[in-house]
Amino acid sequence: MSTIKIFEGREGHIQQKGDDCLPISCNNDSLAGVVSQRACVYSGARVVLNPLTDALHLVHGPIGCAAYTWDIRGAASSGSDLYRNSFSTDMKELDVVFGGERKLAAALRELADRFHPQAIFVYSTCIVGIIGDDIETICKRAAMELGIPVVPVKSEGFRGNKNEGYKAACNSLLGLIGTCDYTPKSRYSVNLLGEYNVAGDVWHVMPLLEEMGIDVVATLTGDARVADIQRAHTAKLNLVQCSGSMTYLAKKMEERYGIPYRRISFFGLREMASALRTTADFFESRQLKEKAEQIILRETARVMPQIECHRSRVSGKKAAIYMGGAAKAISLVRAFQELGMDVVIIGTQTGDRDDYQRIGYIVKDGTLIIDDANPLELKELLLKQSADLLVAGVKERFLAYKLGIAFCDFNHDRTINFEGFQGMANFAREIDITINSPVWRLSVKRQSPINSRSDLTVDMGVGDAIKETCQG
Amino acid sequence: MPSKRLARVNPCSMCMPMGCVLVFRGVESCMTLFHGSQGCSTYMRLYLAHHFREPVDIASSALSEKGAVYGGAANLKQGLRNVILGYRPKAIGIATTCLAETIGDDVPQIISEFQEEEPLARDVTFIPVSTPSYAASHEVGYRVALKSLVQTMVRKSKPSGRINILVGSIVSPEDVRYLKKLLDCWGFDYILLPDISETFDAPLNEHLPRIPAGGTPLDDIRDLASSKATVTIGGLVQEPGAGYFLEKEFEIPHRPLPLPIGLDLCDRLAASLEELTGDPMPEYYERERGRLLDTMVDAHKVVAEARTAVFGDTEMVLGIARLMTELGMRPQIIATGAINRAFAEAALQMVPSSRIITGADFSEIAEEIMARDIELMVGPFTGRQTARKTKIPLLRVGLPNHDRFGASHQLLLGYEGSMRLVECMANSLIESKERGYA
Repeated sequence: MSTIKIFEGREGHIQQKGDDCLPISCNNDSLAGVVSQRACVYSGARVVLNPLTDALHLVHGPIGCAAYTWDIRGAASSGSDLYRNSFSTDMKELDVVFGGERKLAAALRELADRFHPQAIFVYSTCIVGIIGDDIETICKRAAMELGIPVVPVKSEGFRGNKNEGYKAACNSLLGLIGTCDYTPKSRYSVNLLGEYNVAGDVWHVMPLLEEMGIDVVATLTGDARVADIQRAHTAKLNLVQCSGSMTYLAKKMEERYGIPYRRISFFGLREMASALRTTADFFESRQLKEKAEQIILRETARVMPQIECHRSRVSGKKAAIYMGGAAKAISLVRAFQELGMDVVIIGTQTGDRDDYQRIGYIVKDGTLIIDDANPLELKELLLKQSADLLVAGVKERFLAYKLGIAFCDFNHDRTINFEGFQGMANFAREIDITINSPVWRLSVKRQSPINSRSDLTVDMGVGDAIKETCQG
Repeated sequence: MPSKRLARVNPCSMCMPMGCVLVFRGVESCMTLFHGSQGCSTYMRLYLAHHFREPVDIASSALSEKGAVYGGAANLKQGLRNVILGYRPKAIGIATTCLAETIGDDVPQIISEFQEEEPLARDVTFIPVSTPSYAASHEVGYRVALKSLVQTMVRKSKPSGRINILVGSIVSPEDVRYLKKLLDCWGFDYILLPDISETFDAPLNEHLPRIPAGGTPLDDIRDLASSKATVTIGGLVQEPGAGYFLEKEFEIPHRPLPLPIGLDLCDRLAASLEELTGDPMPEYYERERGRLLDTMVDAHKVVAEARTAVFGDTEMVLGIARLMTELGMRPQIIATGAINRAFAEAALQMVPSSRIITGADFSEIAEEIMARDIELMVGPFTGRQTARKTKIPLLRVGLPNHDRFGASHQLLLGYEGSMRLVECMANSLIESKERGYA
């Protein structure tokens, strides 16, 4: 990639499909000073565990880490809302000097007494790693004393990127799994891994699985209770959606409990259908397969008219994708194919070598692939590729808007369900209303009757619209 | 008066580096870099983007395990170099995080090494500020960043006769625009710092600059020591900061004032400006004052005796509580997440019967609200869970506001801002009666 300006040291992180080049650089430390869109280890751990609704999530550190992650994920709950609170040991100068162990132990007692959680997760932050508080021992003692699981999460911010946080979260979950007995209600039982019930997604998927006769033992971790996690070892199959965060756990569960896993996605019509088929195929049951086909036929017929209507308005448009994890990015490519749109940029914060290989395989020649992007590079790429739409998170939203580019939030804090059959119809509508909004046709420069400037075209319709002007 | 509990539940404050961003963003062509792990910048970018609905770029030295063990000098230097190459700023504010402070990096030393080694650094001003997150709240971060900025940049030259207007606590871009209009209309020369009126609320136009246009010009900041006086707006209960420094070092008289919210506190700002300039307040604002008064009279029965809870940043809370008492409302809870004795004293003097909480969190505020039959909550959106649970209307003011539009355009200051607040409070009470909440 020589046509755009790239920070020294990041050349290997951007490539164009079709280039004759080496594998993309990825999964390493972010470069200082370039304004990476990534967060930290704690963030990775927190987003994975936070949707556990009846657990108490205690951040051992200064107030900021807890303040900025209070109720950040739009993961919905059908029960407790304990997880939507923010708990912190609020470490002060003296705690840093003399150690925070006693404060942590006392805080655990105080919080258990006040909130009666089913389990407590204790997240360690940067300074805890530096001053060396032994949170494992404190958690072990507290668990004995309080009679509930108290699980340490080794998530010191500086110990790597978000992927390390996912791993820390998975290790914490492993400590809970297998601690309760359960007999699944059906011969066909599954766990949903890497499904976080953002905007109530799982409630559009679970009924379909149940209709097939499948018992969903646990969702990790969307709308999950601690008890669900504890019995997750009794399922026969793990369906892994967000592979970046949960493949590690799936592999561990296979090792430990002999539960095989399959990668699936509930986003997009084809992906959703394929998820149901994959599940039915795994159990080798004709009845399941027939049921799956029935559901796919019925649901597709139900939502297709809505999708077709939006498709006719968006097909041919160019989409850019910048996601945290690769699994979502890949599902999005397929969804855009279903809408007749072209993906011109695709990137992730935390994809690994395998992820980028899969991405490279499914995107068209000419697509730009970027790892661990930053605002300056994103801006240049969006303009260079003439993207009509960016799909990303809140940090990127306002960059897109300032450039006159439509935007769709596909991250933690979206409020519209995108999974399942109905979800794809919702997604199509989202894309349609942003791409085809009349705001992009408003003119940036006002036509003045007294001050006619030579660069101002007489026809105000197109030449001065936000879309063209900001990108020109 | 701070809570006796050990754990914080639902914080009513943020950490120190957050305050720095609000200062550095108000400086011409200035980037912020956090010396710490990557997450700090990303979280604060996200938090501020939600609030201002603008792109927010904050760089990080992206310290990793190696940096944490052997020191972060190499990362910090590389970070500074990349910020200069990528953003071409005229100034960089460098705030430490708890990680950098705990490993003990000497940031001023690293910066001077960088300046010696790196030709790119020649035309850039570096402003280091020490903000260990565990030391205090975002409000203190704001104050120390403002002080460091002034300390680092000012130099004495011949007297300019200007007046320094320091914005001593976090306000909205609209508030700053209002202040500038007032001062322009008054017609004297001033330096306002920091100026986020454009940088956090940029109009949509043709080109998106790397660093938002606007902010206090660097030359003006250098010139602060040549002015004839300093007024800190929103500096009533803050520890000595930039204004105090200018007074001590350069003998520039300093007046710390409260935020002008409510008739009395607005009058106090007006009186100070009249004394300093010798010119009367412009007629336009006399009429605006009259309209505020008119509105207060119109609304007095609707809001009379309303039992309220007001919480958030210290200076804002005190101003709003003052306006409430002027209207005959009854603030029952006056709370801030900061630990600040002067705040507690000022609040107690203003409303002796109210429950005053410093170092508050929302679990404590919620308990007090439930015990006191409150009719209206006024504060940041972080009170929303309490509002939902108690079915008490929450009027969103201040930072953060992530779930409603208009944070950048919210005017709280001056006669006009006070007037809008009176109307919003009255309407909230009317609407909640209509809904049958009260």
